[in-house]
Amino acid sequence: MNAFVIGDAELCIGCQACMVACAQAHEKMPTAALNERETPFHSRITVVNAPEVTVAVQCRHCEDSPCARSCPVEAIVQKNAHIEVIKEKCIGCKSCVLACPFGAIKIIEDDMNCAAIFISPHDGTAHDRIEKAHFVVEKCDLCAGCGSPACVAICPAKALQLVEPDAIAQKIENRRIKNANRIRLYRSQLA
Amino acid sequence: MKTPIITIDQELCTGCGRCREICPVGAISGMPDTPHEVDSTRCILCGQCVQICSGYDSANETFATSRVERLKQRGMLPTVKEPLFAAHYRGDINAVVAALQQPDTFTIVQCAPAVRVAIGEEFGMPYGTLTPGKLSAALHALGFNRVYDTNFAADLTIMEEGAELINRIKNKGRLPMFTSCCPGWVKYVEDQHDDLLDHLSSCKSPQQMAGTLFKTYGAKLDGIDPAHVFSVAVMPCTCKKFECERPEMNSSGYQDVDLVITTRELAQLIKHCGIDFTSLPDEAFDNPLGCYTGAGNIFGATGGVMEAALRSACEMLTGTPLPSLELEYVRGEEGIRRATICHEGVELKVTIVAGLQYVGSVLEQVRRGEADFHFLEVMCCPMGCVSGGGQPKILLPAQRLEAHAGRKAGLYSHDKSLTVRKSHENPQIKKLYENFLGEPLGHEAHHLLHTDHQQNRRAV
Repeated sequence: MNAFVIGDAELCIGCQACMVACAQAHEKMPTAALNERETPFHSRITVVNAPEVTVAVQCRHCEDSPCARSCPVEAIVQKNAHIEVIKEKCIGCKSCVLACPFGAIKIIEDDMNCAAIFISPHDGTAHDRIEKAHFVVEKCDLCAGCGSPACVAICPAKALQLVEPDAIAQKIENRRIKNANRIRLYRSQLA
Repeated sequence: MKTPIITIDQELCTGCGRCREICPVGAISGMPDTPHEVDSTRCILCGQCVQICSGYDSANETFATSRVERLKQRGMLPTVKEPLFAAHYRGDINAVVAALQQPDTFTIVQCAPAVRVAIGEEFGMPYGTLTPGKLSAALHALGFNRVYDTNFAADLTIMEEGAELINRIKNKGRLPMFTSCCPGWVKYVEDQHDDLLDHLSSCKSPQQMAGTLFKTYGAKLDGIDPAHVFSVAVMPCTCKKFECERPEMNSSGYQDVDLVITTRELAQLIKHCGIDFTSLPDEAFDNPLGCYTGAGNIFGATGGVMEAALRSACEMLTGTPLPSLELEYVRGEEGIRRATICHEGVELKVTIVAGLQYVGSVLEQVRRGEADFHFLEVMCCPMGCVSGGGQPKILLPAQRLEAHAGRKAGLYSHDKSLTVRKSHENPQIKKLYENFLGEPLGHEAHHLLHTDHQQNRRAV
């Protein structure tokens, strides 16, 4: 079963520290050098700051992965205990963006990928091709390869938690025991 | 009236409160989810809030203040590309640009040790890459007339501070003696523990010693009028901006250091001028005030001042050098470290504090008269100057650890690679005393290199 990170709307203060942390955690360059980029921070987590609710939203790593099933080029795969996008394979078709019920998949301009795309313009003479921005999708990978999720670690309000399969099993077990005790009490009251 | 040195941009602050938590003196207040504010009367200007802040001028949001306007407000170059965070320091780079363009101004620059192990990060080099040669080359390329070094003055500090410590021990002066290199620490003692001021060494910081010498000895060597000297210091520290503006820092007859810029501001200037830092050929710092030893260089790490002082003081006290120059027992990263050095019948006890939040219990011990040590080194920032508020910004805790460790390793490897590793063996320091200063703690040295903390306090 897949793990996932979930936000608590009661605790979240909407500060977006998770977004900056997320972007940083997926970089190999020193922070200072990143700052030179056009878009310095590509975050895979988004803080929803609506009048009625403030909470961070990210991929739930669905077992049924509608994103992966909708991908025509198998660029979204099951890897260890999470669902991952293979950016190099992504063709930018956006099927997964439409399929995701959480709005967790982001379209980004991949300025780190040097492979330029050339395409014919509308009036289309073949020798007059224009360079096109390279868009791919990106989403939470639970910080695979860089330790534990950076968003959870940085959240000053402790509003984010990593839910792992073992923890889910434990939670279910605890609830069963609690309920079993309730049933026992009920029986003794009957007697 | 200049703008405050450390402020939080009310428009960008998200109220996450991480700056409030990291502030070692409780100078930041605010409710969660609302913009925070700095109390400038308590703030010691260490800039740790600037380092940790993650609220920035995201392109996805619109702000009343435009980016162009914000850069101007902060005294930054218009070409700066990096995101602008809520907690920030006052930029002073425009005055440097102006001074470099004045034909009749003689510009002198100095660099703190920690700058040479961090500035490479701004140009994509790995954390802690050691680049003294490129740093010197970049400063020459920017047009500074003399590229001197704070490390030289760090060696000089050891001569004076070492002599002062020995003097206090021999003549039953006030002990333990506190280091006085870190301006945030000095400000903290002044603001909150002024009954302990006489423990502080009377030595000025290396930055200020260097500044004084540039406009006296240095100007004399070059045969120029010190009135035409514009002296710039490149520092990993935001509090150094405050230190250079202290009213008593004018022993040369002028403001000793005219302006302080941070490591980041220098990197921005290098980019602004189109200098390709990574491909610069190595150049040396200018003689004589750019000549330094390994001891001067390790000032940038916590325990470094102590180690440099011990290398010289133990030898001065006993006449015999220490058997090894790697004083591992004063290195490290714990908030409070204690060590006892036994050498040729002399026993010296020292304490080192890294991170101002740890100093409270040590000061209480001193106040109660229970401190059994001779010498206390305090640096406000968690790993010493390598982790200063003016260093390249790092956003994640894990990356911060990696960067600080890398920068420290860079300083120590530089020390190890230098042939002269003890401050009192610096040939230019010997020459300076012979030709200009006389003896450590002598009349001229006292006038130029020392300050009276209690008098400064009364003057406020």
